[in-house]
Amino acid sequence: MTPIERNDVRRHKREKGMMKDQKIALYPGCSLETSSSHYLQSLEKVFELLEVEYTIMNDWNCCGATSVKSIDQDMNLMLNQRNLALAEQQGITELVVPCASCYHRLVSTSWELQQDPDRRQWVNQQTGLTYRGDVKVRNILDFLYNLVGLEKIGQKVQRPLEGLTVACYYGCLNTRVPKSETFDVMEYPMSMDRIAQVLGAHVVDWSYKTDCCGASLFLTMDNISERLVGKILRDASLRGVDCIAVSCPMCQTNLDTKQAHIRDEFEIQKPLPSPFITQLMGLAFGCRPEEVGLDKNFETLELLP
Amino acid sequence: METTLVETETATYGNTSLCYQCAKCSSGCPVSEEMDILPHQVIHLASLGLEDRVLYTDTIWICANCYACAVKCPNDIDITGVMNSLKQKALDKGITPRRPEVCTFHKVFANDIYRRGKVHELWIMGEYNLRMRKPFKNMMLAPRMFLKNKLKLRPPREVRGFRGWLKKILSRKR
Repeated sequence: MTPIERNDVRRHKREKGMMKDQKIALYPGCSLETSSSHYLQSLEKVFELLEVEYTIMNDWNCCGATSVKSIDQDMNLMLNQRNLALAEQQGITELVVPCASCYHRLVSTSWELQQDPDRRQWVNQQTGLTYRGDVKVRNILDFLYNLVGLEKIGQKVQRPLEGLTVACYYGCLNTRVPKSETFDVMEYPMSMDRIAQVLGAHVVDWSYKTDCCGASLFLTMDNISERLVGKILRDASLRGVDCIAVSCPMCQTNLDTKQAHIRDEFEIQKPLPSPFITQLMGLAFGCRPEEVGLDKNFETLELLP
Repeated sequence: METTLVETETATYGNTSLCYQCAKCSSGCPVSEEMDILPHQVIHLASLGLEDRVLYTDTIWICANCYACAVKCPNDIDITGVMNSLKQKALDKGITPRRPEVCTFHKVFANDIYRRGKVHELWIMGEYNLRMRKPFKNMMLAPRMFLKNKLKLRPPREVRGFRGWLKKILSRKR
């Protein structure tokens, strides 16, 4: 039995399908407004085609990413509590978060505040906002896999990605959340692979699915982050993939912009594009590449005729 | 030597004194080869209360915050959380970080959020480079990013009510 068969995400249960009383909202995060605007573009296109009823959350602020929690833990909690409390005020029940870093911050904060009532009370007092804990923070993969569902995604496929071999890269923060909040297997997740399979792509087993790409050291210690990116790209290229599908804007920027410098050093034969999974979905749903922002990726994805 | 208990029993980070030194954290760490002491040694020193020893390490600043260690820990110690709390402790005590570039970056990033509630990536890159006195670092990327409309010259608009909200918090803190 291959790991793909053995490691079924279904074990990692979660309520399936969308309910009437759910209010779905998107928390875009800073990077989707600038450096990863193509992620937002493809996401909005795909949601439209999937007939997802959603709004964009109002007045959200930056989650603080790795930086704030490294130097000011209280502020990290408060920034994220503000987002959660405002989402709750806006009646949002499902907060869909595409960026892995934002997702990790929001879901961890929500968990931490539920774990520790004293801390929650203190944060509520400090921020002047009350968060009761009614918002379900959902990773984009959790949302697509569990709420939208493979069946619906499959129905929309017009141009299957046949002949495309994909390595699905989850990165570190998508699955490494507090244990009670997981939506997929931490070490070897499959939700993105299942989505890619439904789109008609061939997915491969590989070793670096959830390894860190070092994006938090992107500007500060480039030697480390280049080494991490190099390892990921080399393993994927040795498996003969055409592209690496990602769902985190940090990973995408890091894999995409760094690889031209390091391809020789890590003996990577050909460019490895790293499209967002939503861009692949858009293509399979019949969109033109520009409609899902593929022209904004550094390494371009050559689709088969 | 000062011996204070470092985050040994908190709901958030788990109980560091439960650590039995299996070193799963260190073997799974993607950046351990750059560190001066390994993550399980950090936890050991922390649970012994030898705060002074850990606050001066490279390790706490090299940690990439990927949580590989935390999810592997058989005793549910949030090692990444401990690392972050040690960074903050080092700063609070006025200890010069062993990796000043990391610390500077985090400060630049956080300050930019406090300006308007969202970050302006171009500003962060620029301010970081200037503070590190390496004005042309990563500048090879900028032109292509501009061409692909991935970097914006103008900062994002202020999040409604953010600055007022922050001001109130900071005044309470004092």
